[in-house]
Amino acid sequence: MCGIAGVLYKQAGTHEIGKTLIDMLDGCQHRGPDSTGFALYGEDSDQLQLRFIVPTEETARKKATDNIATLLARHDATIKSEQSVGCSYQIAVDFDGDLLAFTKDIEEHAKLVSVGHTLDIIKDDGTAHEVDDIYHVGRVTGTHGIGHVRLATESAVRPEAAHPFWATGFEDIAIVHNGQITNYWKMRRRLARRGYTFHTDNDSELVAVYLADKLKQGETLDNVLETAIADLDGTFSFLVSTPNEIGYAKDNLAAKPMVLFETDDMIAIASEEVSLNRLFPGQSINSTEPAPGTFQTWSRST
Amino acid sequence: MVKIDLSKTDITDANTRIRDYGRAGEDVEIINPDARHNIGVGLVDPINVKVSGSAGYFCGGLSDGAHYEIEHNAGWAVGDNIYSGSVVVGGNAGAIAGVAIRGAEIVVRGNMGSRAGQVMKAGTLCCGGNAAFMAGYMMYGGRIIILGDGAAKVGQDMSAGEIFVGGKIESLGNDTMIVDMDAAERDEIMEFLERYKMNYNGDFTKVINAGKKLRYANQEPRARPQPFFVSSNSSNYWNAKVQEDIWIKGEVGRYRIRGYGASKPVPHLNDIAFIKDVNAQHYKPEELEDINLKTTVGGRYGAKPLSLSMPVMIAPMSFGALSRSVKIALARASRLSGISENTGEGGMLDEQREEADQLIFQCLSGRLGWNVKDMQRADAIEIYISQGAKPGLGGQLMAKKVTPELAAIRGIPVGIDLRSPSRHPDVLGADDLVIKVEEFREATMHKVPLGIKMGAGRVNDDIKIAYKDGFDFVELDGLQGSTGAASTEVLENVGIPTLSAVQEAIDGLKEIDAGDDMDLVMMGGIKDGVDVVKMLALGADCTSVGTSAIIAGGCIACMQCHVGTCPVGIATQDKEHEARYDIDLQSQNIHRYFESLRWQIASITKALGYDDVHKVSRDDLVALTPEAADITGLPLLSEHPAWHQPEMGLEVLDRKAG
Repeated sequence: MCGIAGVLYKQAGTHEIGKTLIDMLDGCQHRGPDSTGFALYGEDSDQLQLRFIVPTEETARKKATDNIATLLARHDATIKSEQSVGCSYQIAVDFDGDLLAFTKDIEEHAKLVSVGHTLDIIKDDGTAHEVDDIYHVGRVTGTHGIGHVRLATESAVRPEAAHPFWATGFEDIAIVHNGQITNYWKMRRRLARRGYTFHTDNDSELVAVYLADKLKQGETLDNVLETAIADLDGTFSFLVSTPNEIGYAKDNLAAKPMVLFETDDMIAIASEEVSLNRLFPGQSINSTEPAPGTFQTWSRST
Repeated sequence: MVKIDLSKTDITDANTRIRDYGRAGEDVEIINPDARHNIGVGLVDPINVKVSGSAGYFCGGLSDGAHYEIEHNAGWAVGDNIYSGSVVVGGNAGAIAGVAIRGAEIVVRGNMGSRAGQVMKAGTLCCGGNAAFMAGYMMYGGRIIILGDGAAKVGQDMSAGEIFVGGKIESLGNDTMIVDMDAAERDEIMEFLERYKMNYNGDFTKVINAGKKLRYANQEPRARPQPFFVSSNSSNYWNAKVQEDIWIKGEVGRYRIRGYGASKPVPHLNDIAFIKDVNAQHYKPEELEDINLKTTVGGRYGAKPLSLSMPVMIAPMSFGALSRSVKIALARASRLSGISENTGEGGMLDEQREEADQLIFQCLSGRLGWNVKDMQRADAIEIYISQGAKPGLGGQLMAKKVTPELAAIRGIPVGIDLRSPSRHPDVLGADDLVIKVEEFREATMHKVPLGIKMGAGRVNDDIKIAYKDGFDFVELDGLQGSTGAASTEVLENVGIPTLSAVQEAIDGLKEIDAGDDMDLVMMGGIKDGVDVVKMLALGADCTSVGTSAIIAGGCIACMQCHVGTCPVGIATQDKEHEARYDIDLQSQNIHRYFESLRWQIASITKALGYDDVHKVSRDDLVALTPEAADITGLPLLSEHPAWHQPEMGLEVLDRKAG
């Protein structure tokens, strides 16, 4: 149960996406005070960027990062840079092997939350501003991003259960989700049989894996969203982001709120207009509420 | 006109000022609204409020007599539950515009979101553009005018009222039909449109209820009242009640409905006993007066808490399920014993308000009898999510009980088999509930406690949501909780026992370090003061009694509450039957029953060695069965260390307190 937000600037160039998403998420923080997360798309890096959740206590953190180093060595991934901040450990590696096999092995032994050449997922317990205080999200510039505030309902309050979720085995894809997938276990069993592993009991992780699986089969993002509406049962509004696109899907019952506002330059989507209005204080905006059972995607010019 | 700048004033201050200006007859303009929620909620004076920009959720909600003009868009539930007055939205409105209105005029010049006019009872909701999915969902009355198109399922499950669509209708909802409209109706619509300066010259398609699902097709035959013990006689598997049940199903071919709760044995407070050193306490009866039983409920956020003379409330039971006379008797008994009464679903009676010193006003999904004026004269507000007898389902009230008087207070058609919605229109998740909580706080000026009533399902998760969403108290109802009407499948089989519920609640709150500021009121099968003390020892702050209060007041427990011809005048709206109920006599019986609870609670507390009932704890308890030990984590009697040291002179104290 949550609030979601997303923004994409259509023209080339970088924008203050961190600050924008902080504003939007702060606007709907009432929907989810437990944790806040961001999926931010920046410069395309030659190296693969990985972010892990690690313990904050010094000895345990050391053990976790040593373990990660061992895992990476096993896959011939060379660490080029590393940084510890908050509950996370961020590294850049040279890697050109099979990403699915690589991440599957790593995920069995470490809490990997972000994988990509342009994507960075930052998430932790606390509000948008509290997370910003630790991770300096507000300084991040880029092209687009999605974000999430969470009120834990059925799974625990832990940084790794916060959104966004990255799409396992598929770099640079992230999702945020508001709602409840009611055929969670059925869909999870299906995907598990196809070889995917789940690391939380969070239904949003399922959405991410579901989308990744379809994308892996070569489907377009539009097609994937269309089948998601048919296959996923329950009440949901979710956002998905790829290196050049963002998109939404909304359930057939229109049970979870979502509004969007589009100009020639940008598209902003949020659970509530109050978040969109944060970007245009003192103005009225011509927002629209998508119809139930619909999806749409937007891409930026590159 | 006075200006209030929402970029500089928080919503509570703004609403307080709007209320004051309204009382003084001054109009208000809200600038920089920026789609903030709950603007102008709870106004009961005829004030004009202009919102210069877009409004968020619940703008103008829970008001009576005020007029709102929103320059641009409105979020979910614009004009929620308005009794009279108007709201004009210049742009688009989000989902459930005009939800539960009772007589206002709501005009949306742009498009309306999904489920517009859900559970509305009267008044007009008009939209200049298109209406999304399920316009008029579950409406009970009033008029919806859509000048553009109507998306899928127009009029889904409507009971009454009319929907006029100017454009195309994608599809009609369940049990609706298209009928011709007469000239007078068209004239009234044109007059309305002209008044709000909306240009339209086209035709309309009129959609109404088709009347095929308002009553059960097969009515149950009248059954001979059989007392509770017959149905729960476990030594006789195919007993008379089981046979009768099968015969009746053979006749009507559907599920059956009855009153009361689960009748099968489940682990309960009887499976727990007190353990104490018998030598420790001897006392004189008058010493019981010094035992503190006072209990406050709902002070978490500074509202004036309910102040109860003992940890007991009367459970929510509706005027509808019960007769007016019974609600008066319960209210009077609650005053005589210094505890609280609860309206349940279906509105507040004036007599009930006058008789009860402390009255909780309950808000249900159908918003039947729900209104701002009664909210503002309640001592606490309670949002009903579900109840122990039928978690996840709405209430049922059979046609025999839906009399003209009852239909009027609820705002529904006379003589339908009323099936209340199972979900709130505006609470589809914990996130929406946060905003609803804020709306209720605004409408009651943050002065009264706000509680949530939940049936026991996934308590461990639900209790955490209740805490995070900012409720002052939770009324948690186990499987054994009763109702006036539900299907036996649900009554007997859905939900978890009260004993499991209290344990899950306590554990859940501990898991999120919630402390003890949100009060936990347990109900579902509490039958005496012994149960009350056990509940408190397990960790509850208070208890709530429904069935036992009704039985004290003359109920013979025949479980035919749904039929509407209650032989003792309790579960009926039939004047002849109700005349059998003696309010003076029964209110005294109920009061004396409450006083017996008081004596039991005090004497057990004293016997356990405490001067305050809130000092009892799990250390005073022992489980008598492995199941109870497993559920509660209490030591099993045979494994209790003290049990193996007879020289300590311990005894199990159960149901022979004092």
